[in-house]
Amino acid sequence: MRYLLTGGGTGGHVYPALAVADELRRRDPEAQFLYVGVRGRLEESVVPARGYRLSFVRVRPFPRSKSLLALIWFAMHLGLGILGAAFLLLRFRPHVIFGTGGFVSAPVMFACGALRKIGLCSSRLFVYSPDAQPGLLNQIAGRLADRVGVVFEQAARWFDMKRVAIVGFPVRRELLDLDRDAARISLGIPGDRFVVLAFGGSQGSRVINRAVVDALPHLHGRRGEIFVLHGTGRISSDGYDAVADTETDVAALGLVDLDSWYRRYEYFDQIELAYAAADVVVCRGGMSTLTEVGVAGLPAIVVPLSTAAEDHQAVNARALERAGAARVLFEEAAWGGDQDAGVNLGVPGKNLAAVVVELLEAGSIRKDMATAARQLQRRDSLELILQEIDTLVQGRRARPLALEFPVSDSGPPADPNRLLHYVRNRLQEVGGVEGLCPRELAYLRYQADRYLASEGFYEIPLGRRNVGVKLVGMLHYEERIDLVLTLLGDRRPASALQRWAGGDYRHPGILRRNAIEFPLTTIGLDRCGAAARTAVLDALATDPYFEVRAAAARLLGAQVQPGDVEVEAALCAALADRTDAVLVEVLCALGRMGIRPALLDLLRPFYVHHDWRCRQETVHALDRLLERGVLRSEEVAADIEQILSTSPNFEPIFPLKNSLESLALRIHDGRARENAANGNTAAHVN
Amino acid sequence: MGGRERTLPTAIRRPTLIELENGPVLYYLGTYLQHSGEALSFLRLLDSISFRAIAGAITALLFTIVFGDRIILGLYRRGSRDTKRSFDFAVTGTRAPKTYGGPLLVAAVLASALLWCQLHEGFVLMTLSAVVWFAGLGYIDDHLKVRHGTSDRGLSESAKLVLQFLFSLIFGIIYVLEPLSPLPAGLATQLYLPFIKTPVLDLGWAYVPFIMFTVVAIANSVNIADGIDGLAVVPVAFAVAVYGTFAYVASHARIAEFLIFPSMPGAGEVAVICCIVFGACLGFLWFNSYPANVIMGDTGSMALGGLLGTVVVLVKQEFLFLLVGGVFVGEALSVIIQEKIGLRWLGRRFFRSAPIHHHFQAQGLADTKIVIRFWIVAGILALIGLATLKIR
Repeated sequence: MRYLLTGGGTGGHVYPALAVADELRRRDPEAQFLYVGVRGRLEESVVPARGYRLSFVRVRPFPRSKSLLALIWFAMHLGLGILGAAFLLLRFRPHVIFGTGGFVSAPVMFACGALRKIGLCSSRLFVYSPDAQPGLLNQIAGRLADRVGVVFEQAARWFDMKRVAIVGFPVRRELLDLDRDAARISLGIPGDRFVVLAFGGSQGSRVINRAVVDALPHLHGRRGEIFVLHGTGRISSDGYDAVADTETDVAALGLVDLDSWYRRYEYFDQIELAYAAADVVVCRGGMSTLTEVGVAGLPAIVVPLSTAAEDHQAVNARALERAGAARVLFEEAAWGGDQDAGVNLGVPGKNLAAVVVELLEAGSIRKDMATAARQLQRRDSLELILQEIDTLVQGRRARPLALEFPVSDSGPPADPNRLLHYVRNRLQEVGGVEGLCPRELAYLRYQADRYLASEGFYEIPLGRRNVGVKLVGMLHYEERIDLVLTLLGDRRPASALQRWAGGDYRHPGILRRNAIEFPLTTIGLDRCGAAARTAVLDALATDPYFEVRAAAARLLGAQVQPGDVEVEAALCAALADRTDAVLVEVLCALGRMGIRPALLDLLRPFYVHHDWRCRQETVHALDRLLERGVLRSEEVAADIEQILSTSPNFEPIFPLKNSLESLALRIHDGRARENAANGNTAAHVN
Repeated sequence: MGGRERTLPTAIRRPTLIELENGPVLYYLGTYLQHSGEALSFLRLLDSISFRAIAGAITALLFTIVFGDRIILGLYRRGSRDTKRSFDFAVTGTRAPKTYGGPLLVAAVLASALLWCQLHEGFVLMTLSAVVWFAGLGYIDDHLKVRHGTSDRGLSESAKLVLQFLFSLIFGIIYVLEPLSPLPAGLATQLYLPFIKTPVLDLGWAYVPFIMFTVVAIANSVNIADGIDGLAVVPVAFAVAVYGTFAYVASHARIAEFLIFPSMPGAGEVAVICCIVFGACLGFLWFNSYPANVIMGDTGSMALGGLLGTVVVLVKQEFLFLLVGGVFVGEALSVIIQEKIGLRWLGRRFFRSAPIHHHFQAQGLADTKIVIRFWIVAGILALIGLATLKIR
């Protein structure tokens, strides 16, 4: 038999293919294998080391940006890759093609589909799609495949039910039988301790390392019951050296007696031992790690990598959490950083410690999670995949998948604007933030954190952070108010060229305006605390961008009660503003909340202001001040003659359109009444 | 098309059958009839460019006014309106949904051009194909918007640009390529500037990208300017009037010599078309004036923009458009400043809203005020543009 394996880029794609290949070779030593990958990726080093032939195709990842040029560039490369792959297929003539997805396997799968169409190829195609939400290329490949293997039920809905099979994720045989006691003896850990295994994959993860070290002081009181195995990883790039950095952090804690319950490894040579000894695992949300943890039957505390493609780690982690096998700790945004101040992501040690202690105390929860994990991860995954391949080779019909329940929607969209729409609709559906269930709220807030931490461009510079700011407001994320205020008050200048062209600070004007218009306005100035109030007053007085000042004035006018002397003084000072748009808001705000009788003198210059909207707002303000009794009618009566009342605007009247509108209103009301009449029955149906 | 070098038929000779087949409808009918008897000799008028220009303008004007109501109602019945109408709740705002009337404008131009132009003339073919291409492009855009019920779902920005550049590429190649170009030999690639008598530069093949940029930029700037009732159509009328004059001057050997212009026999047809467009614009304004019962939509604005772009290039007064089309240039610049420099690069707004007429709306000016002020500015700029005829 000739087997062609393809897929790569990351371990999650390479290792399943290799596990299957190993098993196939064990059964049939005569079989020939060809692995097709991309130069410069993980497979280049791993595959030859395992003794498989490796060929390369040319292809590049699917473009993240939606620009037409990038798409054309990608399509060209893919076309060339398909040609190359077709050539390979014609030479090797495989019986079975096993593709694990990702952009690496796309050329082979597409070439196979095309060649089969014209009858030049009779290979059977098996597509293995390990992620909870298959990527776009995998979805297309799924249509060409004879059989699609998935891990999660929720991934199945992307494919044709007649072809899809839930096969699980193949893991190494060593993980299948673990001996807890033996492992603890060989690691030298007392048998009665609660062992926490924390690691961020073979590379290591800064977020997990820092979270673990940060959690140590909080766990110190429990040091008699707990034992932490910490794998730091060997990553040393981007100004982060996992080993050295963790060492200094731990030393800085100055905890006594740390060695008795905390042990640090650079790298676990035998991770099976660590799994066997552990009671709970803190890890990233990659598919291979999660599967290993699940097969080992361990409850997991998952910290998804927020920068993963399509946020798939969070999707994976939430799939586990929904099944009751894991707890998810999302990364949170915070101001700070090593070199240049900015927004960083991290998990507060306090939160991690709290979850660990909760699991330590509640043995039953732990047991349930472990059971759920075992049930979710199939230990017989490799056998299942091989069975499916056998079925394909023999040309038998495979059994269609029957799902017990239809699988629900996968969650919020990846595009920032669509995400905002989604959140808005979702909030309307459930009637505000209180209506969301806690885990969904946590997940959406995590999206806000992700966007806040991003420095990426979206419509404006730092536009993704701008989306994060909006989300903070929409989701009433009060914990991030301080961060938003920091952004609002960040006075680090933009580049000299930008300042020359009219820019001001690094966090651009639109973002600062949104900081006031979304979080502060929706959450409410009172709830945001004194710092928010100071920041808004500061913005009104000193911000160089007019929309920020206007938003500040609008917020103060809408949310500050009359009689607040400090705010009124600030608004009066803002009457000297040079931008009409700001003056309009300031005048409106003063009308709402001003109480000093001297206001009339301040308003007088605006009777003949050149902008008619300022004049109109002055009239409104006078009206409100009269209504609230701040001014007396006689005072204003003398002034009314002096107000310049011409304006270059008018409200046109379209008689036909007005009649049509009143008809539409009548229909609308009539419908509402009819609905109310049928209300009770309709509500039940819905 | 054979008869390019033959501008006007000689006085006495009867046209041959082949010439008749090549000819435009009214023009050749007249030429044929005037030789059949002394009584019809007044039809010699048809030889005159100025007569055909004025007649064309009046035809286009009357066409729109006479058929306008029927065409507008027909378009409305077919659902060609600018916003989806929902009666579920009160429609707020002062704007009532209006009909896309671009086809009316385009039909008037084409009908009148068929009657009054020498259709075999390269200048005519180029301008009319621009009208058809850009109108088609705009129509697809309008149609998609209508079908999806939202103005966000028209033809994508990049698709529009690709199609516009495709046309201007073909146009540019024909323009520069010696045997195909309607211009006299050696003139096509010369670059002229306003206020300067002689060509400043021979661009050679580099003229093609220059043409492409000019045509696409002008087409889009007219498209951008079309935002309030009557805002785009009058400045377009002013601009075609100016360019029509320039074309007439270039076509007339003696006037061209007097004003030191490069002589372009055949460019007179551009003058005829410019006048026809002028008439069609006025006719359209009949219905489009505030408050409008019809708007030109992308069909109209693209067609006018594409036509203006090709005319500007054909008359070899590309840089004069910065002046004559100042309103359009300003509108386009305001969008670039707001979107590209302001939002994308600096993350701030320079105008309350862009294009600039929306900025004035946001400042509380009535639509009519904005529109008439723009007309005044366009009129002054057109006069200055005309002045460059002599000031060189």
